[in-house]
Amino acid sequence: MKSDLVPPASVVLVSGGSRGLGLAIVTDLLTAGLKVAAFARTVTPELTALGEKYPDHLYYGAVDVNDAEAGQAFVRTVETTLGPIDGLVNNAAIGQDSLHVHTSPDQLARIIQTNLTSPLILTRFVIRRMLAKGLKGRIVNVTSICAQRGFPGLVAYSATKGGMDAATRSLARELGGRVLANAVAPGFFASEMSAVLGQTQLDQIVRRTPTGHLTEPDDVVPVVRMLLLENTNVNGQVLAVDGAASI
Amino acid sequence: MGEVMTAQGRNLPGDDSADLREIGFRSLDFSELALRVEDELGDELNFDAPGLRRIATVGDVLDFIEQLQSA
Ligand SMILES: NC(=O)c1ccc[n+]([C@@H]2O[C@H](COP(=O)([O-])OP(=O)(O)OC[C@H]3O[C@@H](n4cnc5c(N)ncnc54)[C@H](OP(=O)(O)O)[C@@H]3O)[C@@H](O)[C@H]2O)c1
Repeated sequence: MKSDLVPPASVVLVSGGSRGLGLAIVTDLLTAGLKVAAFARTVTPELTALGEKYPDHLYYGAVDVNDAEAGQAFVRTVETTLGPIDGLVNNAAIGQDSLHVHTSPDQLARIIQTNLTSPLILTRFVIRRMLAKGLKGRIVNVTSICAQRGFPGLVAYSATKGGMDAATRSLARELGGRVLANAVAPGFFASEMSAVLGQTQLDQIVRRTPTGHLTEPDDVVPVVRMLLLENTNVNGQVLAVDGAASI
Repeated sequence: MGEVMTAQGRNLPGDDSADLREIGFRSLDFSELALRVEDELGDELNFDAPGLRRIATVGDVLDFIEQLQSA
């Protein structure tokens, strides 16, 4: 292997790994033999069950991504439990289902804090740890096709996802190939977050999707795994996984 | 500075006037060095990009770090 390549990640931190896409990513990485750390505000029975199945490979806990100190303490514990973190998946986020005019300034701030500011603070901290240890690493930001296409009821949410896409590009530049930074932008998939979509809206999305079906977490997981493990020279990109619904 | 370079399989030249570009010491290497100094100081050092751009030689790095340490 050329020495300037970024090696595959071996210890990956997944935010929001308790359910939905995050849980699918955690499960997949464990199956691939990686060490994984996951947090969410609430630990779910599914995450606990994974912890029982992979006691030496999974470390998890209850952390609010908006509590920077708790996040940093979690990162330090992961380092002593599993080893230095060389992969980060920023997946935790909250959704929105309100027109901009009916979204309170407080709610707007909460969406931006959770989906943009806090992931940037966590990313900053993890990169600082990587650099201080002389490590290379990989970052995958889970964003959304909402960053590229307009959707009513998702104004603040879309702004945060667009912000993370933009940050991904600048991170890739700034980190000079020492840390690869990419984003994965899924189309709508069934989860607690998208449960607000009615059947009419879901039917409409499917009709507009050339592949004829909604995205599933299982479609997204291999792309995240590739960005964490493979040598592809993909860096600073946003990969949409949506069956071409957004093009 | 020597440690950062050794970790990457390179050597720190003895001459303080050596050009950083020539010895392959990049701005990220500088960040790594600053993070190590932070560890020693137990405090965060935050500085903006223009300050970094003025740093061209090994001597500049050492001066800058010294300034940070005594700030
Ligand atoms: N579902 C979709 O249609 C869709 C489409 C495109 C992109 N995405 C993106 O895909 C990612 C995963 O979404 P999902 O659909 O799987 O959502 P989900 O089922 O609601 O899961 C979100 C995860 O994030 C955690 N989380 C939320 N707020 C948090 C906080 N403050 N601190 C720590 N953890 C927090 C949740 O756990 P707790 O609530 O217990 O904290 C949960 O583990 C998100 O980035 C989302 O924007 C989703």
